Amino acid sequence: MEFTLLAAAAIAGAAAYAMLWWEAKHGNAARCTGNLWEAGVVSAVAGIFIGRIVAMLIDGVNPIAHPMDVILVRSGVSTVGASLGAVAVFAWLARKEPVTMADGISAAALAGLAGWHAGCLVRGACLGTASDLPWAIAQAGSDVTRHPVGFYATLILGAAAIGLAWWKAYRRPPAGAPAALAVIAAAGTRLVVEPLQPSISGGPVWFYATGLAVGIAALVWSVVRR
Amino acid sequence: MIGLRGTLSVVFRIVVTTLLIALASTACSSGEPVEGVDPPTPVTGLEVQNLLAASPEPIVLNVWASWCTPCRSEAPLIGRAASEFGDEVAFVGLDVRDTPEGATAFIGEFFPDAPILHLADSSGQIPSELGGSRGVPLTFFYRVGGELSYLHFGVIDERTLALQIDELVNG
Repeated sequence: MEFTLLAAAAIAGAAAYAMLWWEAKHGNAARCTGNLWEAGVVSAVAGIFIGRIVAMLIDGVNPIAHPMDVILVRSGVSTVGASLGAVAVFAWLARKEPVTMADGISAAALAGLAGWHAGCLVRGACLGTASDLPWAIAQAGSDVTRHPVGFYATLILGAAAIGLAWWKAYRRPPAGAPAALAVIAAAGTRLVVEPLQPSISGGPVWFYATGLAVGIAALVWSVVRR
Repeated sequence: MIGLRGTLSVVFRIVVTTLLIALASTACSSGEPVEGVDPPTPVTGLEVQNLLAASPEPIVLNVWASWCTPCRSEAPLIGRAASEFGDEVAFVGLDVRDTPEGATAFIGEFFPDAPILHLADSSGQIPSELGGSRGVPLTFFYRVGGELSYLHFGVIDERTLALQIDELVNG
């Protein structure tokens, strides 16, 4: 069962790699000296483990006393810890050219997130709250039809990734604007789908709202600065 | 370049050192009885089946053991779910192939106040009789009347747990 998470991660990685490959053919981050793929993978993996450690601390489990629990990411990863951890690690890895590298990886990051949500098919985690909409789906053995919330997230993030890649390839966006748009898309998507997902203690809606506000502020700043 | 190889080397060494220290520090730890926490009640397979059939509420039956690392990992989530949905769904913990000392330490650490009925199966056969396996953890979801709604093998994640509880409550 644990391999379903790895499968979802592999789909996410493949989607991000495919986007970077397509963008490289269209001059993405041509002046960028750092390796976007390596920096992205290291940031994502570090973010997951930082998020797992934060989740353990929130649950009152000491990660030093129980180190093996850290690898059991299915038990819970703090979205806030993982997101901030990944951004912090990426910022450090890209410290010599942060804006160029952030812009360079923006569309690939969204594609990776779309791939991760598409991985709900192998994780069996596509369904959300009950719904009577025509496209609502029931799980096997149940009469309750539900929002296919994993597909919603995949479609929104996938469309955003493709749109952003097209914008970078065929227009000249201001420096920092693609990264800001990626933050807006990622946070906005979670803000939209979170109310449609059953949860035990509720998702960090405040964090998604803050991310959306920060993304909009960064976008305005990048446009004004230009 | 950003010196990624050097960075990874340093991170790798830090992680390995931390894990070695942590493993050494936990080598001598053991479950100890906890005051104020009762050990799980020993039950037979028939008693568990009667409980499932007679319950006026749907039941989430979580199978765990104090020696099981993945069980430790999912226990905080189970405890939170019991505290959140305990009014609508009954939570039962089935401790298998365990010692009373280990079980009480586990309950005291993870479920001190959670509304969970703790049962013990020293033989470890009951989960198999219910349609599961001898592996832990396992989580069974039963509708009112004892009909199995869903069975999850291995560590359960928050989305799956929340979805299956929602199925029990609204299904």
